[in-house]
Amino acid sequence: MRADFVTREVFTGLRRNVTMTIAMVLTTAISLGLVGTGLLAVRTIDRTEQLYSDRFEVQVTLTADVSATDLDCSQPICTDLRDTLERSPLVESVRFQSQQEAYEHFQELFAGQALAEVARPQSLPATLRVRLADQQGGADAVRQAVDGQVGVRNVIDQREVVAKLFDMIGSFRDVTFALAIVQAIAALLLISNTVQISAYTRRTEVGVMRLVGATRWYTQLPFLIEAVVTGVIGALIAVGGLVAGKFLFIDDLLSGIVANGVVPPVELADIGWVAPILIMIGGGIAAVTGYVTLRMYVRL
Amino acid sequence: MIRLERVTKLYKTSTRPALDRVSMQVEKGEFVFLIGPSGSGKSTFLRLLLREDVPTKGNIFVSDMNVAKLPRRRVPKLRQRIGCVFQDFRLLTNKTVGENVAFALEVIGKSRNTVSKVVPEVLDLVGLTGKADRMPHELSGGEQQRVAIARAFVNRPQVLLADEPTGNLDPDTSQDIMLLLERINRTGTTVLMATHDHSIVDSMRRRVVELDLGTVVRDDVRGVYGVGR
Repeated sequence: MRADFVTREVFTGLRRNVTMTIAMVLTTAISLGLVGTGLLAVRTIDRTEQLYSDRFEVQVTLTADVSATDLDCSQPICTDLRDTLERSPLVESVRFQSQQEAYEHFQELFAGQALAEVARPQSLPATLRVRLADQQGGADAVRQAVDGQVGVRNVIDQREVVAKLFDMIGSFRDVTFALAIVQAIAALLLISNTVQISAYTRRTEVGVMRLVGATRWYTQLPFLIEAVVTGVIGALIAVGGLVAGKFLFIDDLLSGIVANGVVPPVELADIGWVAPILIMIGGGIAAVTGYVTLRMYVRL
Repeated sequence: MIRLERVTKLYKTSTRPALDRVSMQVEKGEFVFLIGPSGSGKSTFLRLLLREDVPTKGNIFVSDMNVAKLPRRRVPKLRQRIGCVFQDFRLLTNKTVGENVAFALEVIGKSRNTVSKVVPEVLDLVGLTGKADRMPHELSGGEQQRVAIARAFVNRPQVLLADEPTGNLDPDTSQDIMLLLERINRTGTTVLMATHDHSIVDSMRRRVVELDLGTVVRDDVRGVYGVGR
């Protein structure tokens, strides 16, 4: 196989169909940009889950009377509840937060806001904060153990609160993937069309190649490489778009919740993780589409 | 070198066979004219030899390869043994003369050294010395056909098929092209030429195979085009 010959043919082909090539590159870039955005959303969800997994607690809030009278969980109702929880193998530790501590924490969270002014210690419940040894089944076990018991007001699973955040990121991911699929179909058709046009504009060359005994592989390779080159260029532009998007939009958009530790920031390393996947998808899909098109529509 | 055994070719669009039980043999180094009116089966004959198409019945052998039963992956090997020249030259207009000839070697993977050695040799042989850097449109019709012959011959095929190679040329230029084909034939290459050109066939007095309605109606060792045609 003469590499210089194949390279020359590829560049001739790309130059000859320059407008189609640009359209194909841009469509592929948009499609892969959306796939990349979806992958970043998946990665953010994973990393957010990791971020929260060691912070998740189940809060068992105590009724007002217990909260008011038992300041350090030394009376039977609270100690019984704590013992019950601590006996469970699914529970790692139990920490008592008194009404006063809850009030101080509340003041910290809402410092300077009107809410902090009107809150009184007795309006906040004392809480048994349960850290789970088993993130999967622990919360249900805690709920079953203490729900409805004397002294228990309610059981709050923090994961349920965070689940809404995950749902939001998940929906964003689904939308980007759906758009990516529509764009990908357009990209596939464009690649297929471009390969056909490319083969048509070079029908004399292809005819001569066949007549002088070039193998099918030799005849096809320039067209396939053309498709792969445009797919890979599309992927590289998509990666560039993600980097630009990070600095121009995502960082600003997420700055508030990132600073508060609600979600992790989108790092360049994340885009670095996505980039090779996009390049492989771009090159791979272009190669397969090109090959199938040549087999189905073009007599080589 | 070439052998056809009761070759029939039927096209779906026609009730009459394009070739009907054609049997013939061409020896190595022969020069054969294939003549006959339009629709007589000449083009089908050449297409079958090149394995552009397969016969409906019968066997075709080209240098011991059974063309009719050749697996697709071996078709390139067959075509590397056959050179082709056409009436319309089929040159690549965006490549120079040298590049056109080199192209035939490059696409079958010949090394750069071989290409740079062989291309000038074959251009000398066809009388195009010093014109390697010209573009096809800068050449006359006869010169363009010489380039096409150089391209067909550069890989030293055992058989050269020429489909009306003088069809677009004036009589003098046609004569030059025929001298060139004779020269190539003298190197031991079998030449099979389909033509309508009476004067060439009559002046060369080589083997003439005449087709009519898909059958061989005449096969003369030193024939002429035919009285009254």
